[in-house]
Amino acid sequence: MLKKVCACLLLLALLIACGAALAQDTTLTMLTHWGTENQLAAQQAILDAYMAENPDVAIELVTVDFGELRTKIITGRTAGISADVYHFYHLWLPDFVNAGALAEPPQDSLTYINDNVAQGTIDAVSSSDGTTWGYPTEVNPYLLVYNKRLLAEAGYDAPPANWEELKEIAAAITQVDDTGAISQLGFGVIAGWDSGIVHPFSALLFSNGGSYLSADRTTAEFNSPQGIETLQLYADMVASGGTDPSISGLGDFPSGTVGMVIMAPWWRATLRAAEGIDFDTEVGVAEIPVGPSGDAPSSIAYTWLFAVDSNSPNKPAAWDFIHWMNAEHEEGQGSAIGDFLVNALGAIPSFDHDQAAFAESMSDHYVSAFVAASAYAQPEQIVAGGQEVKTLMQVEIEAVLAGMTRPEDALASVEMQANAILEEQRMMMEE
Amino acid sequence: MAKIGALGVLGDKQAWLPDIPKTPLMRRRMLWAYAFVAAPIIALIVFLLGPILFSGWVSLHRWDMLSPVSEMPWRGLSNYSYLLSKDPVFLKSLGNTFYFAIGGVGANTILGLGFALLLNSRIRGRAIWRVLYFMPVITAPLALAVMFSFIFDRNFGVVNNVITGLGLPRQPFLSGPNQALLTLVFIAVYQYIGYYIVIFLAGLQGIPQDYYDAAQVDGAGRIQEFRYITLPLLRPVMLFVVVTNTIGALQVFDLVFATTGGAPANSSMTVVLHMYNTAFKFSRMGRASAMAFILFAIIMLITIVQVRLLQDRAYGD
Repeated sequence: MLKKVCACLLLLALLIACGAALAQDTTLTMLTHWGTENQLAAQQAILDAYMAENPDVAIELVTVDFGELRTKIITGRTAGISADVYHFYHLWLPDFVNAGALAEPPQDSLTYINDNVAQGTIDAVSSSDGTTWGYPTEVNPYLLVYNKRLLAEAGYDAPPANWEELKEIAAAITQVDDTGAISQLGFGVIAGWDSGIVHPFSALLFSNGGSYLSADRTTAEFNSPQGIETLQLYADMVASGGTDPSISGLGDFPSGTVGMVIMAPWWRATLRAAEGIDFDTEVGVAEIPVGPSGDAPSSIAYTWLFAVDSNSPNKPAAWDFIHWMNAEHEEGQGSAIGDFLVNALGAIPSFDHDQAAFAESMSDHYVSAFVAASAYAQPEQIVAGGQEVKTLMQVEIEAVLAGMTRPEDALASVEMQANAILEEQRMMMEE
Repeated sequence: MAKIGALGVLGDKQAWLPDIPKTPLMRRRMLWAYAFVAAPIIALIVFLLGPILFSGWVSLHRWDMLSPVSEMPWRGLSNYSYLLSKDPVFLKSLGNTFYFAIGGVGANTILGLGFALLLNSRIRGRAIWRVLYFMPVITAPLALAVMFSFIFDRNFGVVNNVITGLGLPRQPFLSGPNQALLTLVFIAVYQYIGYYIVIFLAGLQGIPQDYYDAAQVDGAGRIQEFRYITLPLLRPVMLFVVVTNTIGALQVFDLVFATTGGAPANSSMTVVLHMYNTAFKFSRMGRASAMAFILFAIIMLITIVQVRLLQDRAYGD
C-alpha cells in the first residue's frame, strides 16, 4: 500500500514538473563583452525593465572579456549552447555571415534601422551583398588622447599636428633613469594584441593618406609608400626613445606616465576613474597628427552590433528584445542601450535619436571631439579573414618595433600572406 | 593447444571466448563485471578515441566551427602540406617548441638530479627544502605566469633592479625577441623542477645502501659511486623524467598564453598556442587539427627514440 502511495505521489510530482516546464517563460541568453561591475549593473537594469514589461520572457546575461568573445561565440555554437543574442565586433561579421551563423533581422527592424541610422554605419553592419545583419550600437572613431600636464612639463602647450611634431614631443616626454628604466613614455603603442592594427597603425596610416584594403576589399593596400612611412614612424620613435613596446601605453596612460596614445571615446569611464590623471584638467583630445603624405587629419572608426544566432529557437523574441533596447519609447528620451552606451561607456551611439537625446552627455571636452571626428573617420573595412590579416600584421609591426625587420620588408611579407588569405576566402564563398 | 592454420587461433572458440558460468549467480556476476568494465571503455571511446578520430577527420577538411560539420569542404592533405611548406608561423613555432623542450628537459633533468642528490644527503632542514622546491608545482600555472611577468618586467621588475644594482645593463626579458623564450624556459623549470626532484629522490632512495658500502670497501670515491652506481641504477627514473618532461614541454600552452601570447613578433610562439590561435581566432579548425596530428607524430617519434636509447641502457645490460 505504501509503495502504491509513493508511486502515485512520484507520478504526480513528475506531472507537475512537466506542466511547469511547459508553461515556463521564453528564455533568452544575451552574450556581451561589457563585464565591469558598473556595466553589468547597467545592463541588468535594462534586462529587468524589459522583463517587467514582458513577464513571459526571461533574459540571462553572459559576459566575457573582449579577447575571449569570438572564441566564446564559436565554441558555444559548436557545443550547441549558443546564445540567442550576440553583441559583437563588426570585423567578425563576414566570417559569421559566410558560416550561416546569423539570423536575418525582420523587415520591421530593417526599416527602423534604415530610418534612424546613418548610411555609413548601416554599411558597417552589412555584408557585401547589402544585407544588414543587426542593430549597430557604438561608433568608435580614434583620436590622439594626450596628457596635458606631461606635454606642458616637456615644454609644449599644444598637441602635435604632424608626425615631425609627434616624434619631437614623444621624445621630449620620455624619461629614462640612470639604470635605463623608462619612468615616463612619450607615445604608447600596442604590443602583443592585434588591436594595434586599428590603433594606432590604421589611424596613422589613414592620416598619412594611405589605405588598408582596396575599395572592393579584395587586396591589401597597406604596402604602399604611405604604409612604409607609417611603420618608419614607429621605427623612428623607437630609435628616438619616443615609444617603447615594453610599456603598455593603454595600461599606463591612466596612471599618468604616458604622454600620448591613440584611443576611442569609450575610454572616458576609465579615464574618469583614473587616479594618475585628472580627467577634466589633464586629459586632452586632438586629431590624429597628419603624416608627410597626408593632407588632412583622418582616422578610423569601428562599430559593434546586436544580432541573433541562426540556431536560436526564439528568434522573434530575440529580435523583439533587441528592438526594444534600441528603440526610443518616448520622444526625446533616447533608447535604453543609447543611455548605456553614452553614460556608462562614453561611446557614441549609432541611432540618430540617441545622438540627439544624449547630446549633452556627449558634449564634454572628451567625447565631443570624437563626435566631430565621426564625421570624417573612415570605417574599418570588414572582410572575411580580416581577423587573421590583422594578427599577421601585428606580428610584423612588433618585428619592426623590435628592430628585427625593416618597414618595407615587413609590409611586403604581410601583404603576400594577406592577399593569399583574401583570395582563399573569396574562393570559399564561391564554393 | 590452439592450432594456427586455416581456422587460426580465433578459430578455436575456447581460446578467446570466456567460459560461460554454469550457475545463474555466476552469470549475473559476470554481467556485472562486464558492465563495470564497459563504463570506462565507453567513456574512453566517447571522450578520447572519438574526439581523436573526429579531429583526424576534421584535419582533412576546412571547418570554421560555425558551419555544420556535415558541410565541411574536403581538403585532403592540403592542411598538412600547407603547414609543412607554407606556414612560416608553424615552422617558427615548431623551432621555438623544440628550443623550449630541449632547454626545459635538459635543465629539469640535470638540476633536478643535482638538487635531489643534495636533498638526499644529510643537509639540515631537508624536509623544509623539499617543501620549498615542491611549492611551485602546486601553484596555479597562470598565477605563476602573472607573477613572473612582473618579476621580469623591463622597467620595474625586481630582476632588472638586481641586475642594474650590480652595474649590468637592463634586460628586456619577456619583451625582448631574443630573450622571451629563454625566460619562459626559466619559468617552466622553476615551476616543474620540484616535481622532478621528488621523482629523482624516490629513485635515489630506492638504491640499496649495500652497493655504496661495497664500493667504499673497494676504495671508490664519491664521483665513482655516482658514475658507476647512482647513474646506472637511476636510468629507469631518468627515462620516466625525460619522456614525461619532453611530452609536457612539447605541449606547452598556458605559460606562454599568459605571459607573452607568443610575442614579440612570434619569437615565443609555440605549436599549441599557434594551434589555439588558428582554431579559435582564425576559425581554421581543419588546419589546427592537422597541427595536432603533426605534433602527435613528432611527440611519438621522439618518445620512441628516447625510450629506445634510455631503455636499452636502463634494462638491457
